[in-house]
Amino acid sequence: MVHAEAQRTQGQLSTHVVGACHIRLWSAGDGSPVLYLHGFEQHPGPARFLQRLAQHRRVYAPELPGYGGSTGFEALEGVLGVTLYHRQLVESLGIDTVDLIGHSLGGMLAAEFAAICPHRTRRLVLVNAYGLWLDDVPLPDPFVMGEKDLAAAKWANPALAASEPSIGIAEPESRYAATLERMKNLAIATKFMWPIPDRGLRRRLPLIQAPTLIVHGTADRLIPRVYAEEFARLIPNARLVMIDGAGHLPMVEQEDAFIYAVQTFLSE
Amino acid sequence: MKFHWFAEVTYPHLPADFPRRYHSAWVDPPPHLLDPRKVGEVYRMFIRLMQHADRVGFDGLAVNEHHQTAFAMTPSPNLLAASLASSTQNAAILVIGDSIALYNPPIRVAEEMAYLDCLSDGRLIAGFVFGTPMDSVFSYGIPPIELRERFHEARTLILRAWQAQEPFAFNGTYTKLRYVNPWPRPVQRPHPPVWVPGSGSVETWDLVIDENYCYGHLSFSGLRSAKPIVDGFWEHVAKRGGDTNPHRMAFTQICCVAETDAQAERDYYEAVKYFYSHNPVAPGFAQPPGYQTLRSLRAAMERGTGRGITNEDRQRAASGEMSFWEYDEKGFIIAGTPERVRQRIRELATSLRVGQLIATLHMGNLPEEVARKNTELFGREVIPYLRDLWADQPDYWTPLESQRRVAAAAQVAASV
Repeated sequence: MVHAEAQRTQGQLSTHVVGACHIRLWSAGDGSPVLYLHGFEQHPGPARFLQRLAQHRRVYAPELPGYGGSTGFEALEGVLGVTLYHRQLVESLGIDTVDLIGHSLGGMLAAEFAAICPHRTRRLVLVNAYGLWLDDVPLPDPFVMGEKDLAAAKWANPALAASEPSIGIAEPESRYAATLERMKNLAIATKFMWPIPDRGLRRRLPLIQAPTLIVHGTADRLIPRVYAEEFARLIPNARLVMIDGAGHLPMVEQEDAFIYAVQTFLSE
Repeated sequence: MKFHWFAEVTYPHLPADFPRRYHSAWVDPPPHLLDPRKVGEVYRMFIRLMQHADRVGFDGLAVNEHHQTAFAMTPSPNLLAASLASSTQNAAILVIGDSIALYNPPIRVAEEMAYLDCLSDGRLIAGFVFGTPMDSVFSYGIPPIELRERFHEARTLILRAWQAQEPFAFNGTYTKLRYVNPWPRPVQRPHPPVWVPGSGSVETWDLVIDENYCYGHLSFSGLRSAKPIVDGFWEHVAKRGGDTNPHRMAFTQICCVAETDAQAERDYYEAVKYFYSHNPVAPGFAQPPGYQTLRSLRAAMERGTGRGITNEDRQRAASGEMSFWEYDEKGFIIAGTPERVRQRIRELATSLRVGQLIATLHMGNLPEEVARKNTELFGREVIPYLRDLWADQPDYWTPLESQRRVAAAAQVAASV
């Protein structure tokens, strides 16, 4: 019984076809559906926080086209293209309305989805999300940072950097696979985040109808907390949960606090 | 073989401790180090030097585009080119080149280059470049993932605009124009020769092969460093059945000519050190994700740095720790008497199969009178002795008008 439960939440990675896109899709659990959109660096794979969410819900975690082993990015035109692709993805899974959790770049894309597809959005969770720009508090440029500087900016405790969950490398046979994979992923991120991660989302946030939870690791030096406050101000029905002792990845650094906040909100 | 005069328009007054104090001469060098009056002096000096080069037999005068850097203060090469087009007689105006992904709309390039071709009476070479990452994606903010697509869209638009017999509509991804109809149009028909430099990307090789453009390997690391990449280019050309005419290959080389070898060291060593050591690029600016395609990135990694020249030598060159003759021996510079320089250029051109040498005759903080001497000696004592190289092959990549005028001037010079 315990074994079956573990298997159920461990989930599986499959290839899923949406239009011109062939993507890697991790899914697990039973219950009402949750769509998790990953951050700008990579898909987290069967991360523990996703498995815990899958104890009560059906969790879908797609890899963004162009990342890792997922293709079809060229067919998508900018932010609207990706948003409509996400709508097609949700519909291809037979889902009527979905709870969305978007982290980092995935937060930007999840907010776009909620604004543009209100009929498909039940609840929205944004975790240390990109998508806004405040002239008084300019965001640092994550693309110029060396490994050490990036770790210092991302983590409350940079020693945890090595434990960051990842889906793994799609083509491990090449000697330079890890470097190439990272360059490939970040190249896609530049479409939405270069040179400034603002693609006009500010004007669309007021259109979001879904109840929204803004979760923010307060030690994040990539996205300072004032950005979370700005999201909460612009989205009509939003509330804010600050998680101390966590940086850009609160679901990893403060997993319990993250799971508690998200599960409480989603089960309201 | 053809010879084009070139120099980076470098700011020559950076403090000696610049490389230690500041992380980059690109993108974010501190503006307080810049004196605009001195920049004006530099601009006027380069115009004088290139006018002189035109008089002593050079085939082309090369100008380039960079942004936000003390290394080369030429944000629009077309401006310098315009000064030269109206004040020189013979040489090609080699714009190498305009960063066409950055112009909005890119029709601006079609217009300005047409202006230059008209003003110079058909002496323009149209170079199109991607720009370094520091130029195009950091200083000008183009998302790296879009750079190549924007480049090709701009190139398609510009070439069509030069040749279309009727106004046309252009519905691109990045540029939408209802009425494309530039006035002026280039003198050269169907359009000026096109050069596209690269740094070893396979996609760029395919482009120049498909379109029969001149390819440029523009580095300042010399023969040894370039050999693996340039050999790779020629192998690729042969494999694809492209034109292996050496005139479709351009190469930059710093040259330091003097009356004696010892005099060359006295004249140029400080400037060579300044050139290499006052040009740090912060690591984060050098290799942003998406600037190169995965295919090219993989090829570059597999090519490695083991062949050609070692990383240690690159670093020593960049820190100014090499002796003058080590810079020469490793190929970063070619220095000495005209006889020595001739012999080494012959070796380089033959080894790399280069038909267009972009001779870099001013570097770093070199005084004008030394650069003028360099130009004079190179023009009169080097170029005429290397004209036999590749003379059996036609040059389709230098304008006919400049070829005709330079040859006529050389005949006059030889007869007096």
